[in-house]
Amino acid sequence: MENQNEKKMQSGMSKAVKALLQKPEMGTVLPLAILMLAVAIVNASFFNMTNILDILRTAGFSFIVAVPITFLMSSGGMDLSIGAITSFGGVICAFALKAGMPLPVAVILALAAGSLVGFLNGVIIVKYALPAFIATLGMQYVVNGIIAITTEALAISGFSDSFKALSQTKVGGVVPMPVIYAILIGIVGHIVLSRTKFGRSVLAIGGNRETAYLAGINVRAKQIMVYTAVGFFSALSGILIASRFATAQPAAGTGTELTIMASVIIGGTSMFGGQGTIIGSALGCILFAAIQNALIVMGISTFWQNLIFGIILLVAIFIDKYRRKKGGEE
Amino acid sequence: MNKVILEMRHITKRFPGVTALKDVSIQLSEGEVLAICGENGAGKSTLMKVLSGTYTNKDYEGEIWIDGEKKEFTSVRVAEECGIEMVYQELNMMLDASIAENVFVGNLPGKGRFVDYRALYANTEKILNQIGLKISPKEHVRNLNSGQMQMLAIMRALRKNPRIIVMDEPTSALSDVEVDMLMEFLNTLRKQGIACIFITHKLEEVFRIADRVVVMRDGQFISGRPVKEVEQKQLIEEMVGRKVENLYPKETVEIGEEVLRVEGLTVPHPTILGKNIVEDIEFTLHKGEILGLGGLVGAGRSEVLGAIFGQITRGVKKKVFVHGKEVTINRPKDAIRAGLGFVTEERKRSGFVWVLSVRENLTLCALPNLPKKYFIDRKAEREKAAGMFGRLRVKAPSLETIIVNLSGGNQQKVVLGKWLLAQPEILFVDEPTKGIDVGAKAEIYKLMTELAKSGISIIMVSSDMPELTAMSDRCLVLSNGHITGEFNREEISQENIMRAAIAQ
Repeated sequence: MENQNEKKMQSGMSKAVKALLQKPEMGTVLPLAILMLAVAIVNASFFNMTNILDILRTAGFSFIVAVPITFLMSSGGMDLSIGAITSFGGVICAFALKAGMPLPVAVILALAAGSLVGFLNGVIIVKYALPAFIATLGMQYVVNGIIAITTEALAISGFSDSFKALSQTKVGGVVPMPVIYAILIGIVGHIVLSRTKFGRSVLAIGGNRETAYLAGINVRAKQIMVYTAVGFFSALSGILIASRFATAQPAAGTGTELTIMASVIIGGTSMFGGQGTIIGSALGCILFAAIQNALIVMGISTFWQNLIFGIILLVAIFIDKYRRKKGGEE
Repeated sequence: MNKVILEMRHITKRFPGVTALKDVSIQLSEGEVLAICGENGAGKSTLMKVLSGTYTNKDYEGEIWIDGEKKEFTSVRVAEECGIEMVYQELNMMLDASIAENVFVGNLPGKGRFVDYRALYANTEKILNQIGLKISPKEHVRNLNSGQMQMLAIMRALRKNPRIIVMDEPTSALSDVEVDMLMEFLNTLRKQGIACIFITHKLEEVFRIADRVVVMRDGQFISGRPVKEVEQKQLIEEMVGRKVENLYPKETVEIGEEVLRVEGLTVPHPTILGKNIVEDIEFTLHKGEILGLGGLVGAGRSEVLGAIFGQITRGVKKKVFVHGKEVTINRPKDAIRAGLGFVTEERKRSGFVWVLSVRENLTLCALPNLPKKYFIDRKAEREKAAGMFGRLRVKAPSLETIIVNLSGGNQQKVVLGKWLLAQPEILFVDEPTKGIDVGAKAEIYKLMTELAKSGISIIMVSSDMPELTAMSDRCLVLSNGHITGEFNREEISQENIMRAAIAQ
């Protein structure tokens, strides 16, 4: 009798575990927990408030881009030019300020420039049916090229305090502004993706473009909108990074395209489209920032970073694939 | 009579729930061209999969004898060793490789890891001469027309020196000139003593090329005679001669005024350049009417629906009138606004979004109709979806079940429900019961009848003869891009439809 009960409990437990593993966000929670544990054993200073807020701020810069990227990947797209647009946003804003424009104008100009690049990506990919991988890779080179020519690869610094305040202000003297921005953008993104007709349409397009089109969804316009939003928020992230370091680096965003897309995939957004979770993307960004930070705290060479990121990414893709199979797709 | 080289004896093949082949026996002699005829789903292709070893000898009952010797077809390889080669309907070619590479892929001549290109081209040249094709072996496959590609597929089979070549609907993608070429080629093969099994439902080709013709229906052998001894009329009767089961709850509905008129509809052929798959047709649809659209596969039926609905736009010419007023339909969104709905043939490809739940799929077309402009009113959505879920008696654990986990019949109900929630006046359904079980079929017919009664007009494309004859108030038949038959309720019969469908 007792034995049977035990079995029942066990099968109930394993069911619960399985259900938990099916949650799209699981890809991040598990490694994050393991990481925390490992770091805590080695160096407890990882957990002090300043360090945690530092991690969150780093994650915030990524997350601001990861939100629209979650939409983009849910709709079946990808964008390799986000890193370049991030640098571009910072540089444009810096140039505008140096030219004596008022802060709001400079910011708007930089955001418009980013949006324009995103819009062009969208038009090229959607209208001319080019693979997103190639088109955005090309755009990455174009934008980086423009940055290199105009800045001669030199960083721009010497900004007003009001510009620095954008990122350097701490709410209540504790929480850095980028974290606040990221939370606000995340909340709005989550609501739009899960509660609006637009969000549903994006998921439908990623799940099955043909079905979505036949159902009367304006597929092209929606896809272009998402690419434009990606450009906008990449530029925003670039402005905030420039403000944070009081310097606009021509290579500020280099490399972030892969870590951000990786964060989104690890978070549970399917790289095949149709499924997306903003909360997962937030966890993904935090995980990446935490690993980066932990390696420093533990005194491990940063060369290990890429190796660890790579392994986590591969595992995340396997989990995504496994979930798809479970979902019944051949 | 030449000697018999192949015998298939008492082949029975069962799938879960259906018997695809019931005790079928056929024979084939040396150098003979045998045509196998039958409707879509008669079991022709299944029989050939048995012959090719795709279904291994454990999967079916019956025996295969080659040259008077019993053989165990445990794999495709055994069939190939017995000299049997298949030429498939879908041409899987490497488009950017040469003819020679495509023909000898997997068996390239040469030493060790290197390819001997000189030998490769010489060998290919030999085969090209054998079949009378004057092209360079180095030509890229992309530059060939579909007739030449079909020949290439046959060349691939020929390089293994087969004794029996099996072709499944080889002319379905070919233009008339290309068909002529193929026929001539089959004659050449026959002279070389190679036997050929030729699956087709184009009777004209049967009379042109075959020595003997076998008719199959519902997985059974119906007849097998020399072509000289049969008439076309007889073949048609044998192909369709089946009693309509009591599956169809068709009720006579009062047919009202005209709701849809299409004029001058022309659709270019999807694969053959310069040819139209639908050529300047016109027709009308009335309130409460179920208009059947019959014809053979490839006759352009789905293209008619797709072009009207705005799914196909390239090169399409059309004038569409809804309630006598001309409407412009450039994309599906326009069609939905004009009151149209479209249940496509390929459920998985264009019917549902597999990652979404039953609820999310059901409300997909009706999203703009839900209250609130930007947000999804969750309560309203649930109510709508639940109402349709109940009305269609969808068998699923809940509204939140992901749709791929449903059976084909229930998926089809959800797709239908998705369109009904958009409240169309005119519904297009393309092969509405393809691949679903009898129970679900009956429910879908019942639903169509209910819809017609409530004043919705339906155009139904169907290859299922009993379904077409039983459910249609009026039936149009397409062949070669033209309407070759129009039958009212009294005139609709399987024989009439088949006769019009094979008209040139």
